[in-house]
Amino acid sequence: MKVTLKNIGKKYEGREEFTIRNINLEIEDQDFCVILGPSGCGKTTLLRMIAGLNSVTEGDILFDGRRINTVPPKDRDIAMVFQSYALYPHMTVYDNMAFSLSMRKERKKIIDERVREAAESLQITDYLYSKPSDISGGQRQRVALGRAMVRKPKVFLMDEPLSNLDAKLREHMRVELVRLHKSLETTTIYVTHDQTEAMTMASLIVLMNDGVIQQAGKPEEFYNKPANIFVARFIGSPTINIIEGTVKDGKFITPDGILSITPCLEDKECLSSYEGKSISVGIRPERFESGDHHLDKFDCTIDVVEMLGKEKIIYARLDNGQELVISTPGHYNYNDGERHTFGFDISALHFFDNDTGLRIN
Amino acid sequence: MKIFKRKNKKNLYLSDMQPLNFVGKVNLGLIYAVLITWSIIIIWPLYQMIVSAFNGVQGKYLRLNDKFEFSLKHFEYLFNETLYLTWVKNTIFIAISTAILTLIIVSFTGYAYSRYRFKGRKASLMAIMLIQTIPLFAGITAYFTIHSIVSAVIPAFSRQMMLILIYAGGNIASNTFILKGYIDSISPELDDAAKIDGCSNFQIYRLIIKPVARPMLAIIALWSFIGPFMDYLLPRVLLTSPGSYTLAAGLFTLINDFRTINQPAFAAGGLLTAIPIVILFISLRKQLVSGLAQGSVKG
Repeated sequence: MKVTLKNIGKKYEGREEFTIRNINLEIEDQDFCVILGPSGCGKTTLLRMIAGLNSVTEGDILFDGRRINTVPPKDRDIAMVFQSYALYPHMTVYDNMAFSLSMRKERKKIIDERVREAAESLQITDYLYSKPSDISGGQRQRVALGRAMVRKPKVFLMDEPLSNLDAKLREHMRVELVRLHKSLETTTIYVTHDQTEAMTMASLIVLMNDGVIQQAGKPEEFYNKPANIFVARFIGSPTINIIEGTVKDGKFITPDGILSITPCLEDKECLSSYEGKSISVGIRPERFESGDHHLDKFDCTIDVVEMLGKEKIIYARLDNGQELVISTPGHYNYNDGERHTFGFDISALHFFDNDTGLRIN
Repeated sequence: MKIFKRKNKKNLYLSDMQPLNFVGKVNLGLIYAVLITWSIIIIWPLYQMIVSAFNGVQGKYLRLNDKFEFSLKHFEYLFNETLYLTWVKNTIFIAISTAILTLIIVSFTGYAYSRYRFKGRKASLMAIMLIQTIPLFAGITAYFTIHSIVSAVIPAFSRQMMLILIYAGGNIASNTFILKGYIDSISPELDDAAKIDGCSNFQIYRLIIKPVARPMLAIIALWSFIGPFMDYLLPRVLLTSPGSYTLAAGLFTLINDFRTINQPAFAAGGLLTAIPIVILFISLRKQLVSGLAQGSVKG
């Protein structure tokens, strides 16, 4: 089902400010849409509005072109997985999964079929008659998914469903969720604050901050073409390096002149109208290059080296005190306190306007 | 005395802590002295009551002496010469009605105060709390007035029903707070999940919240049930004929009225009164075990 948000705004009772406003979004049928953002940015509010648990202050929510603003949650053909799973503690796993269908007065035989089908695909058939308190966190997570699955909803809503699992299990469930999404052929809207989850699972990422959509698009667009400084900083680990400076004679130069970068031809064109203005350059840690053959080089002192196995994260300091994070392959030899020379991969630079924070190139 | 673990003769250990030093041992001795005195104060009268109830030597007045002769004559007196069974019936009727009425009303108020945001929510909560501090008995003239007005319209409205309303009304305030607090601790995501699964607000309470809050509802039911057993003043004032008395009011006639005085029978009646309450405790034991809500959210 296609979900369209038109100019959505939400103001909670008794608050002066809108929590979210002017949200415009189109989620295509069978999209895996991840709403990403720091805590308090309004992403859960948005999801709850789509679910019908919160009212819509302004704007329209359309499911396949039908306005559903005032349709109660049970008639929206949705299912939701909650962060705390919200399993009914006094019912067995089976009853938990069967509850929504029995509320709809579905026939016993159909309920039984659906529950067993879902239980089998999630491998929880052994616990069907246990209470939620008797099974582990990972199993509860599956039951919560199963409870949503038996409904065969058109839209799947998930509110940080993996945040209560340990790291290994989370990685495993990530893949399983994507598999599930593909086999169910539904639209999934997934809320998280974890950029790794967003990057790995989404076919469409919506990054929100302060109640506004910062960027919406495919995961690779997010990494390679962040729309503004916030997006650049939010996506990617370790965090992108942002250096402030000005444009001078088509070159990027820091105020003290310690760094100067000659952009590639395409970037130069974009920067031509910013001559003399204050801008920032962003460069991902893995886009620094070692060696002497580069046009623009800089010297730095290594503060700390983090060894991660496949890569080394170097926290280096320029002579003016600016800190840079550089990622290098794990087998390269770098040690604390050494001085090294690095250059830039000029095809991977991100330029931002300092006044607006928006991307230039 | 499992809390003492004698690892060797010298040292005295309390659970898993360091061995007690001299001051610690003295303190422990003092604590035990206080506790033992306290239990004697509680147990001695109970013991006397049980002994007197079965003592055939006792006459109309209780005398503390050494003579004891097992007899059930005080119980016989209670059943044959007094309206004891009627009082039991009255009390149980009032207690059960009070418990049911309290449960129904408190379910609504507790759930509403916990889950809904409405104008005057805080103010009305405060008002309930404050009104509660006025003792039930202070409204006695109002009760008479209300009763005479209502019974003029509905003749079947008896003094006992008035009593039930007063007890239930008195229970609502404090129990609303208790139930609200308990429901607050149940994750509201359960409500949301139920809403998406297709429950109406009333169904959310009946199918989800009520079963989860069952331990607290059991306790509220128990308290409301015990109340009429314990109260003497209101039934004594409101109920006029001995045939409509509750146990407390009825039994009291056995020790304060010289025409009907029989103190050993009072003891026997008191002993029997404990039975329904004990039965209720035992039957609700499973419900009283809380922790049902564990495991619903995260683990």
